[in-house]
Amino acid sequence: MESCDVLIVGGGAAGIAAARAAAEHCWGRILLAERGEAPGGVLLQCAHRGFGPGLTGPEMVDELMKDFPRRVELWYNTTVLRITEEKTALLSGRGIGLRQLAFQRLILATGCRERAFGSLGIGGTRPRGIYTAGQAQALLNQKGRLPEGPVAILGSGDLGLILAGQLSEAGCSIAALVEQKAQCGGMARNRRCLEQYRIPLLCSATVSRVCGGAALEGVMIKDLDTGAERYLPCKSLLIAVGYEPERELVRGLEGAEWLQLCGNCREIHPMIESVITEGKTAGYDCVT
Amino acid sequence: MKHYDAVVIGAGVLGCFAARSLCRWKLSTLLLEGAGDVCTGITRANTAIIYPGYDNRPGSRKARMTVRANAAFPRLCEELEVPYKRCGSLMLSYGPAGDRVLGQKLAQGRENGVSDLQLISGQQAEELEPGLKKGISSALYAPGTGTVNPWQLGIAACENAVKNGCELRLNSPVTAIGRQGKDYIVETAGECFSCAVVINCAGLSADKVQELLFPPRIRIFPDGADYLVLDKNVPAPRHILFHETEEKGKGLTAVPTVEGSLLLGPSRRPLTEPYAVEQKGIEELKAQAAKLLPGLNMDMMIRSFGAVRPKPQMMELRAGEYVPTGRDLGDFPMDRPEPGFFSLIGVKTPGLTCAEELGQYLAAQAAEYLDAEPNPDFDPRRAAIPRPAALPFAERKALVEAEPNYGEVLCLCEDVSRGEIMEAIRRGAVDVEGVKRRTGAGLGRCQGGRCRLLIEALLEEYRHGKL
Repeated sequence: MESCDVLIVGGGAAGIAAARAAAEHCWGRILLAERGEAPGGVLLQCAHRGFGPGLTGPEMVDELMKDFPRRVELWYNTTVLRITEEKTALLSGRGIGLRQLAFQRLILATGCRERAFGSLGIGGTRPRGIYTAGQAQALLNQKGRLPEGPVAILGSGDLGLILAGQLSEAGCSIAALVEQKAQCGGMARNRRCLEQYRIPLLCSATVSRVCGGAALEGVMIKDLDTGAERYLPCKSLLIAVGYEPERELVRGLEGAEWLQLCGNCREIHPMIESVITEGKTAGYDCVT
Repeated sequence: MKHYDAVVIGAGVLGCFAARSLCRWKLSTLLLEGAGDVCTGITRANTAIIYPGYDNRPGSRKARMTVRANAAFPRLCEELEVPYKRCGSLMLSYGPAGDRVLGQKLAQGRENGVSDLQLISGQQAEELEPGLKKGISSALYAPGTGTVNPWQLGIAACENAVKNGCELRLNSPVTAIGRQGKDYIVETAGECFSCAVVINCAGLSADKVQELLFPPRIRIFPDGADYLVLDKNVPAPRHILFHETEEKGKGLTAVPTVEGSLLLGPSRRPLTEPYAVEQKGIEELKAQAAKLLPGLNMDMMIRSFGAVRPKPQMMELRAGEYVPTGRDLGDFPMDRPEPGFFSLIGVKTPGLTCAEELGQYLAAQAAEYLDAEPNPDFDPRRAAIPRPAALPFAERKALVEAEPNYGEVLCLCEDVSRGEIMEAIRRGAVDVEGVKRRTGAGLGRCQGGRCRLLIEALLEEYRHGKL
């Protein structure tokens, strides 16, 4: 079986940082598997200047990839399907085919996934027009497409706010930003868009029902203090209620001495700096 | 105007099987569907159980068909290459009222010919399913109960019907039915067809379709139901569970699906809005599940959905108005208002189990009416979309080498490749939901969060002839 010393799963900020650090300390074969066709992960869909010294996501990726050590093998378009206790990985990709790979150390840098609409237990129908915030962001920033307005956004954390600002700037009407807590969740700098674009913020409220046949027509907004419900017409509903660490690959293997988790798959980090630091630490740990 | 021997109205699981069965005879057949894809109605949202046949009144057509269909299910799923899990079921009682029901079911099942039914003790049931709430008083163990993915089954039957010569028209809701001599004239939004036989499998609209030509005999008064799905990593029971509570109608059904997720439901309630789920229903299901399976982590819920359950009623003319008689139909509601017109109006459980049986029955009736000969060229086999994730390493590797699209995994949760999705689109998926029903992409814990845009892009490419 083909083998390597360090296998890094995921080529986002954490994986890149881990690979760079590992290359400094480990003389063996280092392999980074990334399922996209380029490095960067979720950064690639972030057009706002929220990274490092005011960089956009793609600019941040360029920064992270500057002088990237050549000895790290970058396997793009490669999905890691399985990790076994015997320290083997099953990889699949259109370029590499299906391969089994033995490794000494594994660094998991798979990031996070968004909490899905389906997990929220919201009543009503299941029409077209419901997206996660990340999907809307990718649509807007990578494909130049807007969700159909007016748009309701559930969740006023940083992602919800950034999205509301970007969509407004692009000319999309925001019907409301709906927040379950009593106050808006995000950072002050991300909250500015609320005033700038006069976006209605509904706190202590939630989406209690989805209405529409084939396509979304509106949602019911429930006031969590009074229990009163009212109808809000909208064509798109964006779900921005948080993230879950993505570590299904190592389910049941947690705690193995050859395994390290870094970045958002370990815990959700609000700032990229701590993701990079964690990646580095994981990489430095791979001394051989 | 094109003429067919038989027109089947409605491409849900029943219509698809009726069309497939008609292909066993030398009959030209047209399958009409109002929606843009097949299996988007009742077939899309139900409990996915293949029943063994102890629930039905001895001597009824339902009982006979269910017992036969259950025995034939492995053969059927092998022919159509559809995953089938014969996981067995436990009907659980925690008190004297439940025990009585179980005893009746046992006797009924034995009479119906369900030979492997067993009434077991609470302790035996706990050994079979250690996650169950303690204190089971008795359980009815039915090794023959199974589960299938309903829409996969229906789609497979449809593909097989088309392969055997049946024509399929989508986006063709029937707007009028008339007569011309002995023939029927079926009108859709854009076209007219004549045919000798109409087979009405229009699901929730079956009563309305029949009333395009005939006075009301059976009408559907639908109920609503809620379901929820837990992620496949939840420690799910191995058997299908039916909780027979002391209070009638409050029990939970739990189904470990062929995909590995756990389906809970239905919560029964009046219909509010077609295919809408009610938060109250979700909460009820969660509470029932927490009672029956105390270890279940409800945070593992990945989806909830609403279903519509047809409830047929006989109608009669009273003082110039059609009103329901209130009489229970008892058996599968099959109607033949005039020679050559066959209707299935309001088929409930175990309709999915008996889909092939009902199709064969209808086709045999049509064949007899038309004096048709068997079709010696009928091929019951349908090839599934290749499924790399289900293959052993060497075979999967060979497949990826031969066709690299099968190596590019787009749906991470369910391990579904670009190749599978492309094939699903070629086979008729017109939207993300259609791809999901054919491949499982988007069924998992992120619910399409990561693959949906990629699938939408592929659908777009296909529409532009680029796939």
